Amino acid sequence: MAKTLTIAPVTRLEGHAKVTINLDDAGNVTETFVNTVELRGFEKFCVGRPVEELPRIVTSICGVCPWSHHLASSKACDAVFGVTPPPAGRKLRELCNSIAYTEEHILHFFFLAGADYVLGPGADYKTRNVFGIAQAAPEIGKKVVRNRHLGARILNVVSGKSIHPVTSVPGGFSKPLTEKEREMCLKMAEEILEFSKWAIAWAKSDVFPKYLDAVKSVGVIKTGYMGTVRDDGTMDLYDGKIRLMKPDGTFTDFEDSKYLDYIEEKVLPWSYMKFPYAKSWGEGFSMDLADPKGIYRTNTLARMNACDKLSMPLAQKELEDFRKAFGRPCHLTLLYNWARLIELLYNAEYAVRLLNDPEITSKETRVPVTPRAARGVGHVEAPRGTLIHDYETDAEGLVTNVNLIVGTTHNNGPINMAVKQAAKTLIKGGKYDEALLNTVEMAIRAYDPCLSCATHLLDGRLAVSIDVVGADGEVRKTLAN
Amino acid sequence: MPTKIEQECDPAEERAESEDLEGKRALVIGCGNVLIGDDGLGPAVIKHLARTGGLPDWVGLLDAGTGVRKVLFSLVLGEPRPQRIVIVDAVDVGRKPGEVFEIDLDAIPAKKADDFSLHQLPTSNMLKELRESCGVDIRVIAVQVESIPAEMRGGLSAPVSQAVERAAAEVRRILGCA
Repeated sequence: MAKTLTIAPVTRLEGHAKVTINLDDAGNVTETFVNTVELRGFEKFCVGRPVEELPRIVTSICGVCPWSHHLASSKACDAVFGVTPPPAGRKLRELCNSIAYTEEHILHFFFLAGADYVLGPGADYKTRNVFGIAQAAPEIGKKVVRNRHLGARILNVVSGKSIHPVTSVPGGFSKPLTEKEREMCLKMAEEILEFSKWAIAWAKSDVFPKYLDAVKSVGVIKTGYMGTVRDDGTMDLYDGKIRLMKPDGTFTDFEDSKYLDYIEEKVLPWSYMKFPYAKSWGEGFSMDLADPKGIYRTNTLARMNACDKLSMPLAQKELEDFRKAFGRPCHLTLLYNWARLIELLYNAEYAVRLLNDPEITSKETRVPVTPRAARGVGHVEAPRGTLIHDYETDAEGLVTNVNLIVGTTHNNGPINMAVKQAAKTLIKGGKYDEALLNTVEMAIRAYDPCLSCATHLLDGRLAVSIDVVGADGEVRKTLAN
Repeated sequence: MPTKIEQECDPAEERAESEDLEGKRALVIGCGNVLIGDDGLGPAVIKHLARTGGLPDWVGLLDAGTGVRKVLFSLVLGEPRPQRIVIVDAVDVGRKPGEVFEIDLDAIPAKKADDFSLHQLPTSNMLKELRESCGVDIRVIAVQVESIPAEMRGGLSAPVSQAVERAAAEVRRILGCA
């Protein structure tokens, strides 16, 4: 009897995702669908507002990566006003970006995805979480919290806010950094760097080796990749050209303002979220595992694939080791987590470098702006992928049009493909258990998707339920944990 | 015409966050998204408490928006922890719109969904863990929403707007600062 497995919601992600896995009569996977709630109407919400308000408003879209939205929005405003922030303004923005990255990557690796690795996908769900880690490895738990805390303190010192930042403004940064603050932040950033060095060494010796078999099989899909690079191909998380790499490793670099020439968003009837694809490849859009078309990925692994090199020496060494082991481009989905730790190290090194730069304490952190009718595109690499803000204003500087493409949206197609690949690998002849289903979830979590959702349901719904649906569409049985 | 409270929820305004939350004996955390209508209740209550003042120095206020997990994750394993945490959030549980009530953590079933989906009120497993393993007194003040818009829209409905002051009073009562 053909049947449908439904896993909903996928926990430890932001918001809800519902995974539906259709099985054929023989109990093998035919189709999978990852459905998410997407909040609509942000564009309409912004129209008519002064554009300089947007860097503050966008931090409310989602509390997970407010700094990325704050900075992409500020850059779009810079472009609208036609200004370039002074060096110190740019460096303070980059510093906040790097520190926010360290917070996010530490959280994801150790608390979200890390629970799978540290405790294993077969561990009881009640312990496969941050508390389980705290009990199984209390010293690691303490280190993790200490270093996230240091990141939050640096952001507080530099910007005064950790959750809803306001200091990046059109034209630069509103609050210069004092020498005393610089010294204080440098000490904390150096501690984060030491932790980052330990984290990747520990993961390479104690965590990843146990999962190399899973890495080589779970969620593996061959796609293109997107990242941001400088003119010489060095990765840059704050500014540069967008690089779109084909699955064979060839690539094109383009200015962010031209993104509509390279990317198109496909709408599918069963999904709220759109599916961006590489229009410029001229092959259309298909999520067929054997012959995908137009599919590219973003986020950590994508950036490691897309760039030629890293500007920070310790991270560059790690990238070289990674490429030696897995090649370029590397298509192994679970290696997003390995790439995440390389980026953690990169950002910690970058933050220390910025804080050792005397120019960062210059009082010249912003330039004045004047309203005008214009279009401005700004982008940054958010932890979850290339984040594009595209604004248009009238002569008064009031917003007339807004378009955003967020990191997780780029990965919508690949996430669906990775789930299908994982499900096909792990569910055979209708046989599956919780460990298998949780491994499907691991494939999703590797992307660290941020499925923004703000409705508050206190309904006690079961998180994982399996609906067995007959060929006639009737629910024959519901299984739940 | 927007009410005063609706104006307070304008996301273009700076959000309320105590300068230093470290070492506070009590934290009041407002959760919710100010871009989603009544979901902005928690931030509105924090703003109201910050504006009206009178809370002792040992109370920290935080408009966590949809970023409460950042705070809770660190609180779970970090030191020093506050002795008391008051969560203020909008919920949709079929009560009368604008009704202010306290949620008993024990009444919430321990479901897997609660562990980490911290955009939502049901962070209850984590809150329970904070209470049981860490000895933190956890109180949850909830307000029933009138509706949650399908598209982003700022501002609270009239019944929820009117509930802001009552929810703030409830927070003060719990903190012994009424």
